[in-house]
Amino acid sequence: MNDIINIKELKKEYRMGKITVPALNGIDISINEGEFVAIMGPSGSGKSTLMHILGCLDTPTEGIYSLNSELVSKIKKGKLALIRNKQIGFVFQTFNLLPHLNILKNVELPLMYAGLSKKQRTSTAKKVLSEVGLGDRLKHKPSELSGGQRQRVAIARAIVNNPTIILADEPTGNLDTASGSDILSIFSDLNDKGHTIIMVTHDPAVAKRATRVIKIVDGLIQDGNIS
Amino acid sequence: MAISVKENLIVGFSDFWSRKVRSIITVIGIVLGTMSIIVVLSLVNGVNAQTMKWMIERGGLSKISVYRNWEYRHSNYVKDYFTWKELKLIRSLIPEAKYFNPQQRHWVRHSKDDKDYSTRIYGVLPDYSKIEEWDVQEGRFISNFDIDQSNDVIVIGTTVKEELFGNKNAIGAVITVNNRRLKVIGIMAYRYMKSNGAFGNENSFSYLNRQTFVPLTTMIKKGSGTDKTQSFTLKAQDAASAPELREKLNNIILNLRRGLPVFRVESAKEEAEEMAENSKMFQIIFYIISVISLLVGAIVIANIMLATIQERTREIGIRLTVGARRRDIFVQFLVQTILVTTIGGILGIIVGLSILDIVSKFLEMELVAGISMIFVALLVSAGVGLVSGIIPAIMASKLDPVEALRYE
Repeated sequence: MNDIINIKELKKEYRMGKITVPALNGIDISINEGEFVAIMGPSGSGKSTLMHILGCLDTPTEGIYSLNSELVSKIKKGKLALIRNKQIGFVFQTFNLLPHLNILKNVELPLMYAGLSKKQRTSTAKKVLSEVGLGDRLKHKPSELSGGQRQRVAIARAIVNNPTIILADEPTGNLDTASGSDILSIFSDLNDKGHTIIMVTHDPAVAKRATRVIKIVDGLIQDGNIS
Repeated sequence: MAISVKENLIVGFSDFWSRKVRSIITVIGIVLGTMSIIVVLSLVNGVNAQTMKWMIERGGLSKISVYRNWEYRHSNYVKDYFTWKELKLIRSLIPEAKYFNPQQRHWVRHSKDDKDYSTRIYGVLPDYSKIEEWDVQEGRFISNFDIDQSNDVIVIGTTVKEELFGNKNAIGAVITVNNRRLKVIGIMAYRYMKSNGAFGNENSFSYLNRQTFVPLTTMIKKGSGTDKTQSFTLKAQDAASAPELREKLNNIILNLRRGLPVFRVESAKEEAEEMAENSKMFQIIFYIISVISLLVGAIVIANIMLATIQERTREIGIRLTVGARRRDIFVQFLVQTILVTTIGGILGIIVGLSILDIVSKFLEMELVAGISMIFVALLVSAGVGLVSGIIPAIMASKLDPVEALRYE
């Protein structure tokens, strides 16, 4: 199997004035292509920090992070935009759609920053939106959709660039049970199609969908780093 | 790979449109600023055009005038007048001058039967009419024969004609000036130029219509009794050679007066340039005022943009997450600001140009629009966008993605 993510001795500290607060205390993870990994842990355990570093929104203080054979931890913050654009798809608990853009435009956004032409963007985004069952709502604003539908838009946006990994941060946290399980089914489908998914959650029921669960406590892996 | 300028324009424009009220208020501010630039520049242009028109109406740019320099305190060592002999000498030294007219001026009473009219009377040569480019509307002007013979003839302005004759024919009639009977041979053409100022539609040339003219020789021999002449005018071949002739004439006169500046020698061309120079100072003052008011506008816009960016922190976070580079964010906000101010600028130009007529009527002044001011206004409004947009855009592009996503 291919190591798509390889993390060694990863540390992250936050400086708050004169005090240094450790968030990750040396983590080793390797994730293979096509895995569906759930990261679990109580609040303050460092799972969000790990998520941000995995998503190249933040950089580690120490340690090695390689994504798709590229040593991301050596790349400067300013150059990470390209990695985020090409390799990573994000799905958030609060959807994080742009409220003033219709859903087609929201899904087109990563393609626009990738420099695709308007024509290519629209056809790709339309295709992906119909894959998540929203092909007939293209001109709707996010506010005109239900929570479950919004999260499907977010998923469409995450996969539209065909990224190496999909990162989901509590994707069902703001949804009722029915639409929550809908969304989880979509993730399972994506995983079946070969997408690598990493999902942060503290709901054991959600974690059950994953092929592997990694537990983090106090910035350290407690259990589950075996595939 | 990179997002194109066109894309950024589209993003900026849709941003602009999605915040209509705020954008429109900002646009109105810029509209007012640019509008006033257009009006002020047209005003300055109008004043300049009026000055130029005046110059041309009063004999054109090739005219040169010599008159007593009142800034110089007269001393008894030098004469503050020219004698007939000196005038002849001067004329012979400047053969390149096309026309030459020494003149005497007095204030006298003109009477016809029971009617009186006191006004300025000029003793002139036939060249006067050529220099001033002003001819009679009836009869004839003073001729060389009149000069040779010191004829008792007079040419009168239209106001004088009306005062003394009313609607009756004046040509050939005799009027009394200073106890001497003079035959009216001509009536000068009526002169009119709209005055520039808030004092109604007055004729700024009305003083010309009140003048009368007699042969200079007649005035010397039968009127003033002296050949002392304090002023004369002449005309160079053309406007281009006028400054050179002025310089030469000035040196001749200084030589005749021991180097003392008893007389002023002025070329209309240089005078016009000097006036343009003077109005340039006003222009600069107007510019400074406009720039200050636009600067205030820029600060206000910068403030609005900063507030906008704070509101949109989360959006910036989302854009960064899906792959926007810092440069994309920077350009997006800068383009948006420049777009707002440029739209304001274009509207301001349109509004400014369309209210020129109203302002012109209100101020009783002629306003002249020009192509260059449109570019100035456009450039300034875009510049205001650039100045006010750059700091907020930098701040937006420096946001940390994680922090921005957390922002509520």
